[in-house]
Amino acid sequence: MNETSKLKKVLEKGVFAVTAECGPPKGADPEAVTQKARLLKGHVDAVNVTDNQTAIVRMSSMAACSLLKSEGLDPVLQMVVRDRNRIALQSDVLGASAIGIRNILCLSGDHQVFGNQPQAMGVFDLDSIQFVQVVKNMRDGAKIIGGDSLTKAPELFIGAAANPFADPLSFRAVRLAKKIAAGADFIQTQCVYNLERFGKWLEMARDNGLTDRVAILGGVTPLKSVGMARYMKSKVSGMDIPDAVIKRMDGAPKDKQREEGIKICVETILQMKEMRGVKGVHIMAIEWEETVQEIAESAGLLPRPG
Amino acid sequence: MITAEQKPIDEIREMINPYKRILAVGCGSCVAECAAGGQKETAMLASALRMAARMNHEDVTIDEKTLDRQCVRDFVIQLDDVIQNYDALLSLACGAGVQAVAEMFPEIPVIPALNTEFLGETRDQGLWIESCQGCGDCMLYFFGGICPISRCSKQLLNGPCGGSKNGVCEVDPEVPCAWQMIIDRLARFNALGRLEMIYPPKDWAKKQGKGPRKIIREDQQS
Amino acid sequence: MNKADIKPNGMAAEMSNGQNPILAIFYCQNIPGGDEGSRQELESHYGESIRLFPIPCGGRLEPLHLLKALETFADAAFVIACPEGACRYFEGNRRAKKRVERTQAIIESIGLEKERLGILLGSREKPKTLSRWVKELSEQTSRLGVSKGRRL
Repeated sequence: MNETSKLKKVLEKGVFAVTAECGPPKGADPEAVTQKARLLKGHVDAVNVTDNQTAIVRMSSMAACSLLKSEGLDPVLQMVVRDRNRIALQSDVLGASAIGIRNILCLSGDHQVFGNQPQAMGVFDLDSIQFVQVVKNMRDGAKIIGGDSLTKAPELFIGAAANPFADPLSFRAVRLAKKIAAGADFIQTQCVYNLERFGKWLEMARDNGLTDRVAILGGVTPLKSVGMARYMKSKVSGMDIPDAVIKRMDGAPKDKQREEGIKICVETILQMKEMRGVKGVHIMAIEWEETVQEIAESAGLLPRPG
Repeated sequence: MITAEQKPIDEIREMINPYKRILAVGCGSCVAECAAGGQKETAMLASALRMAARMNHEDVTIDEKTLDRQCVRDFVIQLDDVIQNYDALLSLACGAGVQAVAEMFPEIPVIPALNTEFLGETRDQGLWIESCQGCGDCMLYFFGGICPISRCSKQLLNGPCGGSKNGVCEVDPEVPCAWQMIIDRLARFNALGRLEMIYPPKDWAKKQGKGPRKIIREDQQS
Repeated sequence: MNKADIKPNGMAAEMSNGQNPILAIFYCQNIPGGDEGSRQELESHYGESIRLFPIPCGGRLEPLHLLKALETFADAAFVIACPEGACRYFEGNRRAKKRVERTQAIIESIGLEKERLGILLGSREKPKTLSRWVKELSEQTSRLGVSKGRRL
């Protein structure tokens, strides 16, 4: 049970890292998770498991991480502060480490109003930055909030999210610096379609010396159709899809749009690989895990280091 | 101020249904300011309830009286002279007022006519905005006078989150992003540096640590 | 006042008993034919089926008065205000309209027809005299019949 994070090892070696995303099912079926695991195995370094994303009730991230682990993958446990207070969060951090989960991504989470439980009480006892700091203190100081000592510290590679496309842009570097100061080892970004804005954000991070202190993994999501692109642009918060991308998707014939989406995705990765300060890519192929291998292959990211 | 809105008449009628002699009690403070339970609103509600009773052939008396404050015993005591005429009180106060009246007159049912909403301000005529959670540990100084606990949908102390776009909150385009406001305001005072520190987890014990809170001031006691 | 607006009919006398609809009209004194003499003439013509209340500004009327009228004696209650934009008290009538709409919602929620209560704004192009208003409203009210909410 003492294995370390594979993601961490890859990044330490200076290899351009590849992570993917696995959304747990809206049910108790373990097969749904293990099937996705098999699609991803060998093509990525680690797999994020979302935590009731868009505030829709799904199998717990921790349980799905455990299933991925038993399939030989390195899971990244996503945890949102929306649903648990500091007692539950710290307890789950200990539990995650105990069952061999070695990566955690600390998030605020989509607001409960977006999901299928809009009447839920949003907890937000901690915010995502405080949560990063709490996990860091647990790991490095073996202490929980309030100073009580742990009998054994959790072993976790700590991640946080960043949205280069949210406002105000000028403050995004400050917030990134706060996440790093709190203890983030790696950052996974919101899906990048607007490379120009992503570049600006990255430049600010570089200018502040942040890219040397944290491993930034650029997020990508292959578009399945122009409809999906339009939907994401207008309905998904924090998303920035330039009109040029929509036009390009629209220009492809209906039966070729998936290919076009993959092409855009691969091109984005290739460009990100050239950008100073980007240490890897996070491929979020939503309910389309089978495409991850193709994308990684086309972007020259395979084979993954053993 | 504490804001409130009147409950639907049907809900009120259901609650007062068992009673024949009802006193509708208005409150002249916060809920008068937010046009939910002042003298005027009490008169309107009582009038509507009397009409409704007549239309349904119910033999019910509904009188009205508005106190300056229902949450202060010195004012509630004014009900002493009239209370024996009634078998229920319909209170148009906030939740605090309803309970203060009920506490003072344990022998008579006190029915709430309002839904208490939030601590806020009158931004404009007919517009009230939530701005305080009564957390017991005011942090407005750090955030340029804008409370992220009340006005950020995720209560972030280290915001803004990734859902802030064009100055509005992802939760509702009608809601301004509190963090955009905080940043703009602190920038005006050259105080953006205040946001570089990581604000630690909030001490919620000051709000709910020992159950319901109370304030004791010996210098104010008789 | 325009005599032609008052058509002699036998209805007025019949309406004077408690089973016929009674109309309460609160009107802005500034509308044409809103003078005291016209009021007396109209009241003697319509008898107990209408009650006329001159007020300094229609926009200033509290909806409570309409509600109270419905509760205590009237089967329908209206306020007649100046044309939109012509209110001497600036915007008085625009806000009054919103308040009356809310009051309509209240009577609707207890099962009364919302048409029993309303605010009417005059027209600048085609100003109506008070007697014209009264005639139209009393026809409207007689269609609604006696209100179940009124004290008999």
